[in-house]
Amino acid sequence: MPKILIVDDDPVIRNLLEQILEPFQEHGVELMTAENGVVALEAVRRERPDIIFLDVMMPKLNGFEVCKIIKNDNEIKDSYIIMLTAKGQEVDKQKAKDVGVDCYITKPFNISELIGKVDEVLDIRIKLGA
Amino acid sequence: MAQKMIMSKLFKKTLLIIIILFIVIAVTIAISSGWNLYKDLVQEYKSKGTAIAKSIAGSSVETLLNRDASTIQAMIDQFLEISGVFYVFVVDAQGEIVSHTFVPNVPDEILKIKNEKAKTISIQDLNTEGGGKFIDIAAPILEGIAGYVHVGMDKGMIMSQMQAAMIRQLALIAIIFIFSVTMAYFLVNKISQPLNQLSEYARKLASHDFSSNVDIKSHDEIGLLADTMKSMATDLREVFDRYEQAINDAVVELQNTLAYLTAVIDNMADGLLVTDTDGVITHVNPALSYMFALRETDLIGKNCRDLFGNEFAELVRKSIDNSYEVYTSEIGLAHNRIGRAVATGIHQDTFETDDKGIGSVILIRDITSEKEVDRMKTDFISTVSHELRTPLTSVRGFTEIIKRKLEDDIFMKFSDDSDKKTVKAVKRIRENIDIILSEGERLTALINDVLDISKLEAGKVEWKMENIQPADVIERAIGATSSLFEQKKLAFVRDIDNDLPEVIGDKDRFIQVVINLLSNAVKFTETGSVACRVKRTGNEVTVSVIDTGIGISDADKEHVFEKFRQAGDTLTDKPMGTGLGLSICKQIIEYHGGRIWVESELGKGSSFFFTLPVNAKSGHTSARGVDIIPGKEV
Repeated sequence: MPKILIVDDDPVIRNLLEQILEPFQEHGVELMTAENGVVALEAVRRERPDIIFLDVMMPKLNGFEVCKIIKNDNEIKDSYIIMLTAKGQEVDKQKAKDVGVDCYITKPFNISELIGKVDEVLDIRIKLGA
Repeated sequence: MAQKMIMSKLFKKTLLIIIILFIVIAVTIAISSGWNLYKDLVQEYKSKGTAIAKSIAGSSVETLLNRDASTIQAMIDQFLEISGVFYVFVVDAQGEIVSHTFVPNVPDEILKIKNEKAKTISIQDLNTEGGGKFIDIAAPILEGIAGYVHVGMDKGMIMSQMQAAMIRQLALIAIIFIFSVTMAYFLVNKISQPLNQLSEYARKLASHDFSSNVDIKSHDEIGLLADTMKSMATDLREVFDRYEQAINDAVVELQNTLAYLTAVIDNMADGLLVTDTDGVITHVNPALSYMFALRETDLIGKNCRDLFGNEFAELVRKSIDNSYEVYTSEIGLAHNRIGRAVATGIHQDTFETDDKGIGSVILIRDITSEKEVDRMKTDFISTVSHELRTPLTSVRGFTEIIKRKLEDDIFMKFSDDSDKKTVKAVKRIRENIDIILSEGERLTALINDVLDISKLEAGKVEWKMENIQPADVIERAIGATSSLFEQKKLAFVRDIDNDLPEVIGDKDRFIQVVINLLSNAVKFTETGSVACRVKRTGNEVTVSVIDTGIGISDADKEHVFEKFRQAGDTLTDKPMGTGLGLSICKQIIEYHGGRIWVESELGKGSSFFFTLPVNAKSGHTSARGVDIIPGKEV
């Protein structure tokens, strides 16, 4: 069963993303949330989600740090990380690339685009038999 | 002053020659007079001897004939008393000695005298062994018939007389010599002594001791010399005093200037560092010491590479190699502060044709606060943009979800319903939600533009400058906006020159400008066409977007590039767009070193123009730099 993890400290955004991804839920995808980086890492290790929506500005551990940890851990680095952020500057995009982010989306995001991306990734992963 | 009677050097020199000369003269005189005396004495003895012999010869004729030996003996003995006579003897005609004065016997040599039968006086020299040398004078008695008288004159006596005379002469000469030398010595001293004084005086003058004096009053050349030297000394002293005074004045002035400059440098708020051609520090000011928390002694004489690292040393080296340029770089200061260093070389101003300097002057300013403010600006901008975007995300997101839910789950239930009220309500709700969504988009665009213009004005934009082919960029912009043209059914005219030169610029920003102008043209044109022209004009490329829209009034034309200014009546007309587009375009174009302007006539249409400088071969960017302090960034 495919799993998607939503990591954001803002409950409103968590709610929004859950609602956006509802159609996938109806097709058997499990949705999970985490409100900060520490909880997120635990969840990642436990659940091994296929896609992780990762916000940048979070307390305790920020999105870049979380991504770096995940990508450096052989057990969990296969998760597809989509970084969500209000910052859209070149320097931030480069930083994201450096820590190994798979996809970078700026807020406010285009819902169709987001759904399209999830579709694409899940399709690939299903085909690869992940 | 004690007068030293040192032997004058002059005198010493000539003394040897004088002595030799005198000796030569003395000996020559002595010998010559000795010789003359000898000759005279010999002559005298000879004549004396001859006279004696003649006398004896004359008065002994009879006695000899009588063979009266004793009388002859008595006669010849008499003559022995005459000085110089050594012997007398008489021989008869047969050559037998009749009488003689020899004691005791006649020496052999005498016996051997050949009796020449001469008729006159004969003289000869005789040497006897052990007896001495004689002059023998033989006088014939009665022309030799009776015999001969021999008188022997003692040559020895001549010799001793001569020797005595010579010695006397030599002694006299010697005395005269000593006397003359002594006289000469005193005379020379009389001259050399004042000369010594003068030379001592001259030596003192040479070592700038003007206090000495010389006291020579003689009325000869020496006195003249002394007077000349004294007046020369006075002149010299005057000159020296004057020069000393001038030097003192100059030194004082120099010290004052130096003190002033030092005060200026020491009171500067910026740090000053001066190095030589090798980068060794020669001068620092207090501000610099403070900035690096290093004492002056720890800085001077050290190489700036050792103290401040390679980057700084490079800055210094570059500034020296091109002493007419200014170079800047950032440098870490003490206590985690940061400074900006501006370096320029010290020109030589000689006939050298290269730009190499003789050192470098570096000004360092503490820019920690500036950087702090800068950082705060950046943080503020990104914080604001983030803070605004997050709720906006929610608003748009949820609105879209609501719309979908309505469309997918609710409205479809009402699609067949004939209830007019419900249909109207659905229509209204649909429209309202769309309005919320489009306003949300507008809000997003506005936030993005505000962020953009803030960054541009604050100089916080990261430009990616590269060589751009204008035609390519324009085509992309046209492609991006083509849908807008189609929607409004406007004709598009494309007029792009071939062989356009390259320009240097940020590709994305360039496209942004063109898209903005094109979308503006479409926005404000209801019917007609929009044309895009790209031409080369001199050393610029000019792009123009010309529309047949509503145009801009003269009043509005002045303000159209300002922030939040839209053409038209702002009270009645609905604003289109964010009102920031043209401001952003202006910032971008002006950064690239170009110009942007508009020509328009109300009701007829508008033409927007912008220029970009052509890429010069030298590779220098014509874009305005973002540095606070001008200069080439190292």
